[in-house]
Amino acid sequence: MAIQIILLCGLVIFSGLAILFKDLLKAALSLAVASLFLGIIFFRLGAPYAGVFEISVVAGLITVLFILTIALTKRGDEVTEARLVKLAFPVFFILFLVIDGLVMKSLLQKIPALPSGPEAGSFGQVLWQQRTFDLVAQIGVILAGVLAVLALFRKKEEDKDE
Amino acid sequence: MVFSFIVIPLLVAAFLPLIGKFSKKLLPDVLTNAALAYLLFNSILLVKPIFHQGVIVQNLNWLGEKVNLQLALDSFNLFMLFTIALVSLCISLFSIDYLEHYGHKSTFYALFLVMIAGMNGLVLVPDLFSIYLFLEVAAVASYALVAFGLGYDELEASFKYLMLSVVASAFALLSIVIIFGMTGSLNFQAVAQGLQDLEARLVVGVCVAFFIMGFGLKAALVPFHAWLPDAHPSAPAPISAMLSGLLIKVSGIYALFRVIYSVIGITPVLSRLLMALGTVSMVVAALLALGQKDIKRMLAYSSISQVGYIVLGLALGTPLGIAGALFHLFNHAVAKGLLFLNSGSIQHITGTRNLEELGGLGKKVPVTAGTNLVGSLSIAGVPPLAGFWSKLIIIMALIQAREFGYALVAILASILTLWYYLLIQRKAFFGRVADRWLLVKEAPFWMSAANVVLALICILAGIFFSPIFKTWISPAAEALARGVQQVLMWGL
Amino acid sequence: MSPTILLWPILFPAAVAVVLLLIPFRVRYVREILSVLSSGALLYLGFLLFSQRHLSLVSDWLGLGINFDLRLYHFSSFILLALTGFLFLICLFSAVKMKNHPRVREYYGYVFLAAAFSNGAVLANNFVLLVFFWEALLITTYALVTLGLKPTSHRTAVKSLIIGGFCDFAMILGIGLLWASTGTLTMDKIQVEPHGLTVAAFVLMMIGAIGKAGAMPFHTWIPDAALDAPVSFMAFMPASFEKLLGIYLLARITLDFFELKVGSGLSILLMIIGAATIVFAVFMALIQKDFKKLLSFHAVSQVGYMVLGVGTAIPIGIAGGIFHMINHAMYKCGLFLSSGSVEHRTGITELKKLGGLAREMPWTALGFSVCALAISGVWPLNGFVSKEMVFHGALETGYPIFAIAAWVGAIFTFASFLKAGHSVFFGPRTTEVPKTRESEAPIVLPILILAALCITFGVYNKLPLQNFIQPILQGRVEAGEHLDFTAHALDLFNPIAGVSILCLIIALGIHFYGWNRGGKKAYLASEPIHNLPVLHKLYDLSEARFFDLYEQGIKFLQWLSRLLFRFIDRPVDYVYEKVVTAVGRTFTGLLQKAHNGQYANYLAWTVGGLVVVVWIILQLLK
Repeated sequence: MAIQIILLCGLVIFSGLAILFKDLLKAALSLAVASLFLGIIFFRLGAPYAGVFEISVVAGLITVLFILTIALTKRGDEVTEARLVKLAFPVFFILFLVIDGLVMKSLLQKIPALPSGPEAGSFGQVLWQQRTFDLVAQIGVILAGVLAVLALFRKKEEDKDE
Repeated sequence: MVFSFIVIPLLVAAFLPLIGKFSKKLLPDVLTNAALAYLLFNSILLVKPIFHQGVIVQNLNWLGEKVNLQLALDSFNLFMLFTIALVSLCISLFSIDYLEHYGHKSTFYALFLVMIAGMNGLVLVPDLFSIYLFLEVAAVASYALVAFGLGYDELEASFKYLMLSVVASAFALLSIVIIFGMTGSLNFQAVAQGLQDLEARLVVGVCVAFFIMGFGLKAALVPFHAWLPDAHPSAPAPISAMLSGLLIKVSGIYALFRVIYSVIGITPVLSRLLMALGTVSMVVAALLALGQKDIKRMLAYSSISQVGYIVLGLALGTPLGIAGALFHLFNHAVAKGLLFLNSGSIQHITGTRNLEELGGLGKKVPVTAGTNLVGSLSIAGVPPLAGFWSKLIIIMALIQAREFGYALVAILASILTLWYYLLIQRKAFFGRVADRWLLVKEAPFWMSAANVVLALICILAGIFFSPIFKTWISPAAEALARGVQQVLMWGL
Repeated sequence: MSPTILLWPILFPAAVAVVLLLIPFRVRYVREILSVLSSGALLYLGFLLFSQRHLSLVSDWLGLGINFDLRLYHFSSFILLALTGFLFLICLFSAVKMKNHPRVREYYGYVFLAAAFSNGAVLANNFVLLVFFWEALLITTYALVTLGLKPTSHRTAVKSLIIGGFCDFAMILGIGLLWASTGTLTMDKIQVEPHGLTVAAFVLMMIGAIGKAGAMPFHTWIPDAALDAPVSFMAFMPASFEKLLGIYLLARITLDFFELKVGSGLSILLMIIGAATIVFAVFMALIQKDFKKLLSFHAVSQVGYMVLGVGTAIPIGIAGGIFHMINHAMYKCGLFLSSGSVEHRTGITELKKLGGLAREMPWTALGFSVCALAISGVWPLNGFVSKEMVFHGALETGYPIFAIAAWVGAIFTFASFLKAGHSVFFGPRTTEVPKTRESEAPIVLPILILAALCITFGVYNKLPLQNFIQPILQGRVEAGEHLDFTAHALDLFNPIAGVSILCLIIALGIHFYGWNRGGKKAYLASEPIHNLPVLHKLYDLSEARFFDLYEQGIKFLQWLSRLLFRFIDRPVDYVYEKVVTAVGRTFTGLLQKAHNGQYANYLAWTVGGLVVVVWIILQLLK
């Protein structure tokens, strides 16, 4: 239980950091760490497929992509940040968490239990027989990710050419 | 036949990087445009069957085994598919010349096609989770495309877009998960049936709020809009056109209203809420657009404002309102696509997008200036261009529903729209030619051609709007309204 | 005759507009010849349709009762004939005046487009169609004003767009309300008693109509445009086309759509607007120092007579208002064209610098004089007849105050035209103007045609009254009452005409007295008589006696003018120019500040928005 809480806190803190950092590189790093936490949570909750997908696509592919390209690119001028703006997000976030905590608990009780039935079965069976179409979409996502790598790393080659 | 809308772009996209190894320009250009032209042709061919049958549901067999691969096509979907194919074909024509100095055309086209595949998939699937997945397909491709220029600003914009978009997708997914948890199914009809049997108004209410936030962010409704003015101008012009013209409509408006109309059912409460959101977007973004100096930023804010109109019309829920909103969706896709491409032409010609630096280009580049004028006037709602009719229909629908307040705001916002489009015209094209632009030349052939085609569509759709309205828009609106009737009220 | 001919007055000028836009700038004569010929053809079409009288073209369009519905009947055919006639004269005039304009292509294109839209608006029998053409006119007006090519032209054009847009917007709302209460958009099917919601509809639609006609307080762009827009535009739009359209719609509103009762609140509202417009604008006109600007204020002032006449809801008043509309279009068009003729030859429109042009430009001076006498209401010209009818109507309502206002207007109209004519065409020749000669025939001809029409319509006033005006009022007059305007003794010898003539005499007195006092150059001619021993004393005496009176009177008038200018004209102007712009700018600035590129900030809005949406949904569910 303690580990769960630590993982959740880590997830929340790093997500928040990813948002609050003005420096893109730090922000992207925080996002990677946050998705890593999420992946671990998925594993622990017994959803290894989701965990793998999360770590490979989100934490791995996209964020690493960003970190590398950002690191390779020169930074623009530092924008001075208003104090008020810095406060706005934490305030809303905390407000959201509080409301979430208050509302969700009562709401969750009202959600009827999942009717066991039509879509039960092993993951593979479900995936192949009922959710085939999702595979097409997954292929699309992965294709897009791969192409994104191709697109965002081309600059390096061009620099060499010049 | 229907399946090809997803498979063909994906297949071409998969092979393009390989083809790009030995043909840097010609083959990618030809293949991409051919694929999109085929999709356009295909969507026109489907008009007749849809007209006779109403709905086509296609199941696919895989190696003799029946797999669950279901696509549903009705007039509303077809209308969206047609719009996507038409606008994206023009955009890819434009890219032939525009992408010359970016390099790596094949990768660009591949991502472009993946995005189209994602949108087509999103439009065709009758299933909540698949909507989420295809949303992600289009989104991931669009992140990379926004950052395609690889400058710091572009990466920053893309990253911001990614972060906010992920939040949005997460909330949409959360909502889908809760609904799955309650009903045990994901198919639209089954979920609608399941929700009807349940007594869980509060939970569903929260789910709807998550949907509104998630899809509303994709559609850039105020206050979920802030990523758009950064992301859209940063992208290369064809991608800006794609994002503003199509992506926000498909992954935002289409997804939101498909879910609301076909699954949850439009109820007075939702209708009121969404109308308020639409109106706020319309006004706030119009005011913001007034203050912009960068053409593309102005256009981006204008997109938010026009999305407000569409949402207002769709949320009203009367047949006339839906039809007007769909027509406006089409008109805006065409005209905003045109204007973003045009801003690309301007940038190509002069090297700047700052309105303060431009001036008097009208005499030097008549095609660019003329098409820009047509697009601007169409969006601003000047007769007899297409945008006038769609706005008029939306306003008439509001009056018919006795929503005089909203009608008033809609008319006032259209005056604001006219104002800032006239600003573009005056600053960029009218007046004396600034000395530094004395030697500029008209944009290359394909860029001008794409602009001209889109401008012609604006004009023709305005002049022949009556037959277009009858054959395309009304059936689509009826299909949507039928969805409402199928979803019985569950008491929200 | 096939009803499809009704499409011709709309499609033909539109096609001509496209052709004219496409003719390259360098090609000479073709443009002018084409425009004159095609406007002549349109005029012929106008006669043809006028002889038809009743035609109707209906085809399905948008569904929901929105049909493509054109209807030709006596009223619309009359207006159509007038529109095509004025278009022809303007084209004739422009053929010379505008031929060297750098944007002459656009000019002709917009003029013919405007003609197409105006014809469409007059023929429309469906409100949506009407609004379509009405709104489109706004754009052509905007474009034509910008063709003045002055530094401030664009600003004035925007002003016309904003004011026109506001009026049209009011009209659309009014039509919406009318639709909501009657359930139909077909114009000839609507006939309601104004009460409750429909009163609001009436007022809103009336704003649309009088706004197009340029009545107070929607007039402020017209005097600006007088200086900023081409003079042929002034003769084309504010002097003729907009008056015809605006009063046409106003008459339709008060006669057909709503039943305006004599002495009802709405009738009095209209009469107040009319009377206020007459008096206010004429005082403004009196102090103008520019020829075109003076005319433009009269273009506003005369609308007052039309609105007042139509607003009386008494047959003779309405007939007078409509008759005044066509009369005004004729002489004001003629006046603007003659000012254009002067500008064409001298390049000057300031009264101070002009003078004694009658010898060099006799035909222009003749045309101007006839038109000026007509607008002043001198017997037996057309302005006299229609003004008399309005006076009769105003008196018959039982509120003599409106008739008095109209008379006050008449005094100062004449006074200001005496001033204008005197300083431009008569009096001594000034040195600022080089030696010149009469303008070319295409410029003079329209002026003379209009002057001749002014005389014809005045002397043979029964002709237009019985052919044009009377059919419009059919059904308005109670059974048995013979619609005979001579019953009101529209001749020289009746008390009302007496008062009018007295007004003219007062005006004459005012003018000559002021002219004397001001020591104008023409005054030198009478200097010897002035210096005669006995008379000199008399002059001194009168000078001493009347000096204060006159000066104070003038001062009071000037003060009044300034007061009106400062407290009515400017605030109204301020609202259009400043408040709308400033409010927009402030909001834009505030919103822009909020968009500072901070990702955290944006996410905060998103999360905040979500909280609000959830809260609203939960609240609504409770």
